[in-house]
Amino acid sequence: MITAGVDVGNKFTKVVILGDGRVLAKSAVLSGFDQAAASEEAMAAALDKAGIGRDDVQHITATGAGKNEVPFARSTVTEVGAGARGALYLFPAARTVVDVGAEEGRALKCNEQGKIVDFAINEKCAAGAGSFTEAMARALEIAVEEMGPLSLQSTRAVPMNAQCAVFAESEVVSLIHAKTPKEDIAHAVHDAIASRVISMVRRVGLEKDLALIGGLAYNAGFVRSMEEGLEVKAQVPEDPEYVTALGAALVAAEKAGEEA
Amino acid sequence: MQKFQEWFENRHEYAKEWKQRTGGKVIGYFCTYVPEEILYAAGVLPVRILGSHEPQDVTEPHIFGMFCPFCRDCLAQGLKGRFDYLDGITIAQSCLHIRQAYTSWDLHRPREFSYYLPMPHHVQSKRAYPFLRSELAAFKEAVEKWTGKTISDADLDRGIEIMNTSRRLMREVYELRKRENPPLTGLEAMYLVLSGQMVDKREHNAYLEQKLKELSERQPDRQTGERLMILGSEDDDTAFMAMAESLGTTFVVDDHCTGSRYFWNRVEPQEDRLMAIAARYIDRPACPTKDWPERSRLPHILKLAKEWNVQGAIVMQQKFCDPHELDIPAIRKYLEENGVPTLFLEFDVTVPIGQFRIRVEAFLEMLRQEDLF
Amino acid sequence: MSKQKYPTEPLQCWAKAKELREKYYLDYRDAHLKGGLRWAGGAWTFDAVPRGLGDDVYPLTSEPYGATIAHNKELALECMEATEKAGYARDLCSYMRIYWGSILLDKYPFGGGYPKPDFIWQDHICCSHAKWYQVVKDLEPAIPMYEIDVAVGPYHEINEAKIQYVADQILDGIEWMEKVTGRKYDDEKLIAAVKDECRSTSTWAEICSLNKAVPAPLDEKSMYSLYVFGTLHKAARWVADFYEEVRDEVKDRVARGIAAVGNEQCRLISDTQPPWAFLKVFRYLERYGAVSVGSLYTFGLEGIWEEKPDGSWGPRTTPMEKGIEIKTREQAVRINVEWNLSKPEWQHFYHPKFKTGMMKRIFDEWKLNGVLLHYNRGCEGLSVGIAENRLGLIEAGCPVMTFEGNMGDEREFDEVATFARIDAFMESLGFKKQY
Repeated sequence: MITAGVDVGNKFTKVVILGDGRVLAKSAVLSGFDQAAASEEAMAAALDKAGIGRDDVQHITATGAGKNEVPFARSTVTEVGAGARGALYLFPAARTVVDVGAEEGRALKCNEQGKIVDFAINEKCAAGAGSFTEAMARALEIAVEEMGPLSLQSTRAVPMNAQCAVFAESEVVSLIHAKTPKEDIAHAVHDAIASRVISMVRRVGLEKDLALIGGLAYNAGFVRSMEEGLEVKAQVPEDPEYVTALGAALVAAEKAGEEA
Repeated sequence: MQKFQEWFENRHEYAKEWKQRTGGKVIGYFCTYVPEEILYAAGVLPVRILGSHEPQDVTEPHIFGMFCPFCRDCLAQGLKGRFDYLDGITIAQSCLHIRQAYTSWDLHRPREFSYYLPMPHHVQSKRAYPFLRSELAAFKEAVEKWTGKTISDADLDRGIEIMNTSRRLMREVYELRKRENPPLTGLEAMYLVLSGQMVDKREHNAYLEQKLKELSERQPDRQTGERLMILGSEDDDTAFMAMAESLGTTFVVDDHCTGSRYFWNRVEPQEDRLMAIAARYIDRPACPTKDWPERSRLPHILKLAKEWNVQGAIVMQQKFCDPHELDIPAIRKYLEENGVPTLFLEFDVTVPIGQFRIRVEAFLEMLRQEDLF
Repeated sequence: MSKQKYPTEPLQCWAKAKELREKYYLDYRDAHLKGGLRWAGGAWTFDAVPRGLGDDVYPLTSEPYGATIAHNKELALECMEATEKAGYARDLCSYMRIYWGSILLDKYPFGGGYPKPDFIWQDHICCSHAKWYQVVKDLEPAIPMYEIDVAVGPYHEINEAKIQYVADQILDGIEWMEKVTGRKYDDEKLIAAVKDECRSTSTWAEICSLNKAVPAPLDEKSMYSLYVFGTLHKAARWVADFYEEVRDEVKDRVARGIAAVGNEQCRLISDTQPPWAFLKVFRYLERYGAVSVGSLYTFGLEGIWEEKPDGSWGPRTTPMEKGIEIKTREQAVRINVEWNLSKPEWQHFYHPKFKTGMMKRIFDEWKLNGVLLHYNRGCEGLSVGIAENRLGLIEAGCPVMTFEGNMGDEREFDEVATFARIDAFMESLGFKKQY
């Protein structure tokens, strides 16, 4: 059985095609203004990679901020539900899942079936999400991809009080003026964002294992700050960005099973 | 003056050592409306709970983010176990913000004694006196039950004496700040008052009494520069004070509960000790939560500004502090109408020193220009 | 609408409610035309007391006034911007910012300019209440103002000195009122008002307890339009009378099994004031067959309750039902104080554990599936301790969803994100969208 999950995120639209429990193909495109077009584009790319046609896919489930904009999806699932499903598929022992994307950070707690027990989502503030690191990278005049590796070179924790992204940016500027080494500032940025995310984790209550998913989990500096802050080793998948799409594809497989 | 800073910075070590030395109980208090006279009368050491000015991630599950950073910073200290030596906690009713630090502490770090004292808000009504007296009697009874010791009139007299001595000494130090070249900086004064909220007052008084003469003869090794006042909500931000004074200015007086509001007036003796204590708290310079229907702080602040000959005032508040937000527009207008320029700053757990330096510098430049013309 | 399980009917009292509310605002505005008096104060104030000044004395309560404007996004924003421009912080109570804006812009949503009160009669419940009118006086210095402190501690610790403190302030206030209005105070009118207040607030609690029925005869969105009278003038005879009519109608709905939401399958309560410009949140919930049957806010801000002999929550027995005869001004004031201090929504100001306990009780007795907590940036007073309520409810086994917003400042509400949260919460409770 072949199914697909489409995760229309704030920044990227991701597709995962699943064949009998195995990932056949993945693709990601910028979501842009036209989410329907982006999902079409991402789907076409994934089908192409998998070497199959749309008709071979039995069920497509959409998730993410733009889940209702996917014209070809048969069903939808919330990003909270999909994130937990995907994470548990990869790490069956995971009970707390942290999902940080471009504009939203979430902490989910689930049981062994992947059922959501509690969740927390950041409010109207980017200080706990990926775009925050982007803004800070801009202030540091480095590429966002460099943030993680750079911060790992730091051995010193500089306190930063990131209640708000704008305020934090001015703190970064102050640190630059104070000749603080860039790696320490990058470290401080990750500690600050991790602190926001950890607050959400504490809200739902940490239960092991902890899985980190979403685009920000690519950033090794953020992962380190999370692990240090929570004093726990985190499970990070190879492609953290695709986990929610994978979860949607798993939901699709379930739906296809029900229909059969 | 170094001693006061050391006491402030090593508050936890001090309290633990005090407990060991005296075998007494230590109680943490969240608001300066708590009648410390009764606690000293009972032989209990009251210590004020303040934050640590470090970013933290432990209070999010407990206090909604729209409440002030100070109350969250205080609660974080409890949740992180830094005050685990406390035998009790107490709060006198003031704002809703700090109340939450107390109630969450009560729920998640329970102590053997916990007391919420309904300090009246309508301190401008004569009806507040008998009411607070009755609440103080209930508080005294609860403390007696906790410690297992009756508090006699003689004990209360002792408690009053300890507190009044401290208040008298602090006022004397503040008097010295009226001088053309004050012998101490605003930062030093801040350490002095703050340490008094954490250290056994008897020890603090004895040391201060001894230092007072020395202080009076001290020649400052720096220029006084512009004479500033700082006023607003809770403020123990020593980093800000140090930065501002490094720009060639001196804070000569304040209106903070971590400053002058804490010690300004004394208990006036009355046969009915509890009534005397009640009157002291009702008549003290008010926290904005209690400053209504009239804004009694306006003339009080202006009087301080005049008597200490200030050239400008920094008006600060903890972010989201509603009681101060409700007074600040009126205070700034009033001070400016009376010839005292103001600079408004919103404080968080940590302040962006670079940004604030620019603002303070610009403010000082403005004051200097006024001097020219 | 799919999956209709129960019959529904519109409320008969609807038209009258609309008419009464309109009349309230016009009576206040036009009071001077007939030689009457206008006073302003909060929804929690002791509104029975000014009734002793005569039958032509009309109040304007500030919170419902703020909410009324908040329904109109454009006007609300205009008001708040005027307040911000005048130098007041944006994170202050949004009703208060709207109220000041209405003075600054000299606009009354029912036509004309802001109708200045002849005096202010306020009480102090949160950090802002007394100071709200302190700022009104900054803007309009000539208005005489009297304010009362009610913060004497939770009701279960009530004693003689606490009642006396509040009562004495009111008694002083009556003398003050005579002085500033030049009118003679009539104790008989006060006594009648105190009785009316007991009747209206107890009857409102009775109406809310009828919502224990499955299906619920009222949904919270409709309850807002009825509960508001308690906030406008709980001590008015017309409010007490109207609540009795509403009660009879709701009783009849329960007897006939009439539902507020025909596809009811999930019962919820909310908490704190809703984001008034986004009541469609409740419509969205209905797509899941989810009905909010009330909240501690709608039940306990103007409803006065007690624990009944069987342990359940019901309307508080009035002094009249107990056969107590009110004879003097002092006695009337003391009864009024004691009654008001027992207000459920007042207890959590002292400790969140009191509110968690009451919410758990509602969860059980009103047969709920979940709780929606509105982290309301617009109101410190009702949001105080809300994060601890969340923890407490989860510990007690009640599923909770939180969402951030603001009762009056729509700039702080994120509709898309809130609907997404509802989807996730409903998914976790196992309910599917029906349409």
